[in-house]
Amino acid sequence: MKILHSLATLAVPLFVFWGCSSKSDESSKEKDPELQAKAESLKAEVEDYYRTKVALPIEVQDQLENGEVTQEEIDQRAAAGDFPKFFQFKNLENLPTDLAWEDGSDLPEIGSPKAIKGGTSYGTIQDFPRTLRTIGPDSNGSFRTLLLDDVAVLIAHRHPNIDEIGPNGFRYIAGLAKEWAVDKRSQTVYIRIDPKARWSDGEPITSDDFLFKFFFMHSSYIKAPWYNNFYNRFFSGITKYDDLTFSVRVSVDKPNFATYVLEDIPIPEHFYGELGDDFPERYQWRFAPTTAAYTLKDEDIRKGESLTFTRLEDWWAKDKRNFRYRYNYDKRHIRVVRDVAKSFEMFKKGELDAASLTLAEYWYDKLPDDDPLVEKGLVKKAVFYNQRPRPPYAMWINRDKPLLNDRNIRLGIQYASNWQLVIDKYFRGDYQRLNHTAIGYGPFTHPGIKAREFSVDKALEHFAKAGFTERGPDGILVNEAGAKLSVSLTTGYTTLKDALTIIKEEAAKAGLEFRLQIMDNTAGFKLAIEKQHEIHFMAWGYGAEMYPRYWETFHSVNAYNPDGSIKTQTNNLNSMNMSELDDLIDGYRASIDSNEMIKMAHRMEEIIHNDASVVPAFQIPFYRIGYWRWRHYPDDFNLMISESSSEFALSWMDVEEKRRTLRALRSDETFEKSIKVYDQYKN
Amino acid sequence: MRLNPLTAKKLNRFRHIKRGYYSFLAILFLTVLSAFAELLINSRALVVHYEGEYYFPTYGEFIPGDTFGLGYSYETNYRDLKERFKTEDSGNWLLMPLVPYDPFENNEYGGIFKPTPPSFSDRHFLGTDTTGRDIVARLFYGLRIALLFSMAFLVLTYVIGIAIGCLMGYFGGLVDLVGQRLIEIWSNMPFLYVVIIVFSVVPSALSNISRILILLTIMVAFSWMGMTYYMRTGSYKEKARDYVAAVEALGGGPIRTIFRHIIPNTLATIVTFMPFTIVGAITAVTALDYLGFGLPPPTPSLGELLKQGTDNLTTAPWIVASSFFALVFLLTLVAFVGEAIREAFDPKKFTVYQ
Repeated sequence: MKILHSLATLAVPLFVFWGCSSKSDESSKEKDPELQAKAESLKAEVEDYYRTKVALPIEVQDQLENGEVTQEEIDQRAAAGDFPKFFQFKNLENLPTDLAWEDGSDLPEIGSPKAIKGGTSYGTIQDFPRTLRTIGPDSNGSFRTLLLDDVAVLIAHRHPNIDEIGPNGFRYIAGLAKEWAVDKRSQTVYIRIDPKARWSDGEPITSDDFLFKFFFMHSSYIKAPWYNNFYNRFFSGITKYDDLTFSVRVSVDKPNFATYVLEDIPIPEHFYGELGDDFPERYQWRFAPTTAAYTLKDEDIRKGESLTFTRLEDWWAKDKRNFRYRYNYDKRHIRVVRDVAKSFEMFKKGELDAASLTLAEYWYDKLPDDDPLVEKGLVKKAVFYNQRPRPPYAMWINRDKPLLNDRNIRLGIQYASNWQLVIDKYFRGDYQRLNHTAIGYGPFTHPGIKAREFSVDKALEHFAKAGFTERGPDGILVNEAGAKLSVSLTTGYTTLKDALTIIKEEAAKAGLEFRLQIMDNTAGFKLAIEKQHEIHFMAWGYGAEMYPRYWETFHSVNAYNPDGSIKTQTNNLNSMNMSELDDLIDGYRASIDSNEMIKMAHRMEEIIHNDASVVPAFQIPFYRIGYWRWRHYPDDFNLMISESSSEFALSWMDVEEKRRTLRALRSDETFEKSIKVYDQYKN
Repeated sequence: MRLNPLTAKKLNRFRHIKRGYYSFLAILFLTVLSAFAELLINSRALVVHYEGEYYFPTYGEFIPGDTFGLGYSYETNYRDLKERFKTEDSGNWLLMPLVPYDPFENNEYGGIFKPTPPSFSDRHFLGTDTTGRDIVARLFYGLRIALLFSMAFLVLTYVIGIAIGCLMGYFGGLVDLVGQRLIEIWSNMPFLYVVIIVFSVVPSALSNISRILILLTIMVAFSWMGMTYYMRTGSYKEKARDYVAAVEALGGGPIRTIFRHIIPNTLATIVTFMPFTIVGAITAVTALDYLGFGLPPPTPSLGELLKQGTDNLTTAPWIVASSFFALVFLLTLVAFVGEAIREAFDPKKFTVYQ
C-alpha cells in the first residue's frame, strides 16, 4: 500500500448497478432462490456475529498476535464473559443525559453562495479503474478518490479551514450526523444520524448500516487485512440506541480519538446480501449505494474509455449547510487519457476544463503568462498555497546495506546531495527544501531542524572518516581495499528522472557515484517495500491528520523480524532500528497528552536527523492550475487543507459563458486577463 | 587476400550502385568518426597549457580543479577555466573541442535547467534537452551506443541463428523436426514482457554496463530464430548439390562441410539480411528506450530523446526535430546499403541454374 490511509479513507460507499458481465442477474435477482438462500444465511451469520463478537483489549490482541495465548483460550474466556460484547443493543433511556451535543454550526460555512448548479465538467484519468469496489484487491488506485475519498459524506468532516486544536482534536462540521457528542472518559462518541440521510438508491441510512460496517470490516470476505486489523484494533464496540442513534467506543486513548469515529461512513447492509468468499469478483463492477452527490449509471461506463457521473437530482444533503454550494456540476465526465502531454493539448483546445500547472515547465513554458489563451483572458491561471502535512519527497537510505550502515557515509551522502540546486534551477525556485519528514503538523512539526546543505568539503570529510580518501581515475572515491564509493539510487517516479540525474552529476563532485535506476511506479515501490533498495527516492502520501506517524516508518518492529531477518512489506524503508527511538515511539503512541506528544515528536525528529538516514529533498507548498474562464471558484479560491483544486468540489460553471468562450476562441473577442496568487494560507 | 572472382564481381557491382555505395561510405565515416567522439564533443579540453606545462585531458584520468589552481578536488570545468585564462591573460591557454559539452552535464539557460534553442554562440548547435544537456552530444554518443549495440546484436544473433539453422538443414530428419518445434515454442514467448519482468528483478546494484549487456542478451535470446529459417532452407538446398556429396566422399565431417562449404555458398542470403537486422536492432532499442525499458538513464539514447521531444512538442520543437531526423537519416542510410547489397549479391545475376 503506497499511500498511508488517512482515517477518512477507510470505507466503502457506492451505487447499485450491474456490470456488463452479469446483465441477466438483474431480472432474476428477486426470484433467484439461490441468492435468496444466500442472503438469508448471511443474515443469520451477521446476527450470530452480533451476538457473539467480543471486544478484545489491545494487550490481549498483542498476546494473540505474538502467540502468547491461543484462540481457544480466548474463546473460553469470552464464553465465560471475561470480555465485553462488541455489539450492544440498548434503548434511548440508556443514553447518558449529560452529553454535550455539537454539530459544528458555529463554524463558518464552506463553499460559495454564488455557485450555480448545472453543466458538465470534463476531466481525465490515466488508467481505467480495475474495479469499482473501494475495498479489497486493486481498489486502492487513484480512481478511488472519485468514488469515495473526495465525494463521500462522512459522519462529520474536519473543518478544512480551521487548524485550531480543541479539547477533542480538530473542529468538525456535521455530515451524515445531525449532531454528535464526545465522552472522553469512556472514549465514546455518540451520534444522531440526520433523519434526511439516504443512500443514493433511496434507502434510509440507519444505525444498522453502522453495525453492519463492523461485521463487513472484520470479515475475511473482503480480502483486506489492513482493514480487518484496523477495525478490530482501534474500536472496542458499537451500541445501537434506536434506528438513528448509536455510539462507538474507541480502544486507543489519543487526544484525537473522536476522529476515528467521525471521519467514517457506514456500509449499506441492504446491498451486500451476496457477501461471501467471492466478494472481489462478485462486486468487481457493481456500484455500491453511496452517501455522495453523484451516481454512476451502467450506461455511462464505457470500459477502457470513459465514465460519467450524474448528480442525484434529489440528493438528501442538497440543502444541508456546508454541502449546499458544492457538487455543482450535473455531470462529471472522466476520460481515460494515458499520455499527460496529450491531455494538456486537449485542455488547450477546450476539451478539458482545467489542467494542473504545478510542474514548473507547465506553468512557465507550456502555458506561459503571455500565451495567447491567457492574454485573451480565455484561460485563467491560479496558484493556491495550501497548508497540510506535506508528502516528504526524500531519499530513504537503507541502513541494512553495506557502506550505508556507516553513519559517516550517510552524512557524506547528505552533504553530497544537491537538492537546493535542483529546487533553484530545475524547479525554478518554486518548491521549498524539505527539512525533515514531518512538515505541516502545526506545533508537532519541529521548527528548528534544517536539512544539511550541499558541501563538497564536508562530504569529503565524512567519506574520509569512513575510509574513502583517494579519488579513482573517474573521480569517484575509493578506499584502501580498492572499493568504489558507489551506491544505487532507485525510484518509481519516472517524471522526476531528470531531477535525479542532476543529483547524480552533482554527487560525482564529492566523489560519490549514484547508480540510477528509474522504474515504473509499481516496480519501484515493490523494490522498496521488499527492502531491496540501497537508497530509494519517494514520498509518502499523508492524510490531513493532527500529528505525524512514526511507528510505521521508524519503529524497529517494522525493520526486522524477531529472528533478525529483514521484515518486508512495511514502511520502515530505512531499516531503522534504534532502541531510544523505539521507546519514544511507544511512549508517543500511548500518550494521551498533546503537549507530551509534541515534545516526543520533536525529540524523535532530532534523533532521525542525527542518524542521517533520510535525505529530505523538497516539498511543494502550493498547487497551480490553469482553467477556462467558464469555470468558477469561490472568491478565496479553495480551502486550507485542500490537496487539489477539485478535492472539495467547490467549483461551478456557466454554460452560456462556455459557448461564448469557445466562440471567442475563433474570433478576436478578448476578456480580462487573470493570473492570481492566493497566499492567504502561505506561511 | 585473393577474392573469389564471383565475390569480386559482386563487390564491384555494389560499388556501382551509387546510392547504396555512398550510404555505405557515409556510415563507415560516421562509425570511424564516432570512435573519436571524445575529441569532437567533450567537456574536457583537448590541450591545456598551464604554467609552462601541457596537459591532454581528453583520455585517461580526470584532472582535479586543484591542478589549475581552481581550489576544488573534483573534475576541472574547462569552459570556466578558459574564461579564467582569458581574463587573467597570463599566457595560459586551452583548446576546447568543437562542441565543448559532454552528454551528461546540465547547462543553465537563463539561470535554470530548461531546453535551450539551437545557438551557435553557445555552441549548442542543436539546442539542449529538458535538463539543459547538449543535444548534439546526446545524439552523437547515443548514435555510437546504438551502432555498437546493433553490431554486437548482429554478430550474436547471426552466429547462433546460422549455426542452429545450418545444423537443422544439414542433418534434417529428427533434428530438424524437434528443432523446429522448439523454435516455434520459443518464438511464442512475448519479448516485451520478458524484458519488463527481467528488469524488475535485476538487482539495482549492477553497473550500467552489465545492465546494457543484460538487455543485449535478452534481445539476442529472442531474435536469433528468424535467421534459422533461411539458413535451414539454404542448407537443405545446398546439401543436395554435388559438391557437398564430393566433400562427404572425401571424408569431410559435418562441421567442416557446413562451415567451410555450405555457409560460403549461402553468403548471399546472410549478407542481404545484415543491414535490415541492424535497422531492426536500432529501432528495437530506440523503442525500448522510448517505453523506458531500454538503456538505463542517463545513458544518451535516441529513444529517450525522442520521448522528450514528443512530450515537449510545442515548447521545444528542436528536440523532436533533431532526434527524428537523426534516426531517419541513420535508418535510411542503412536501408540504402541493404538494398544495394541485395541487388549486388542477387544470385540470379551471376549463376545459371541447370
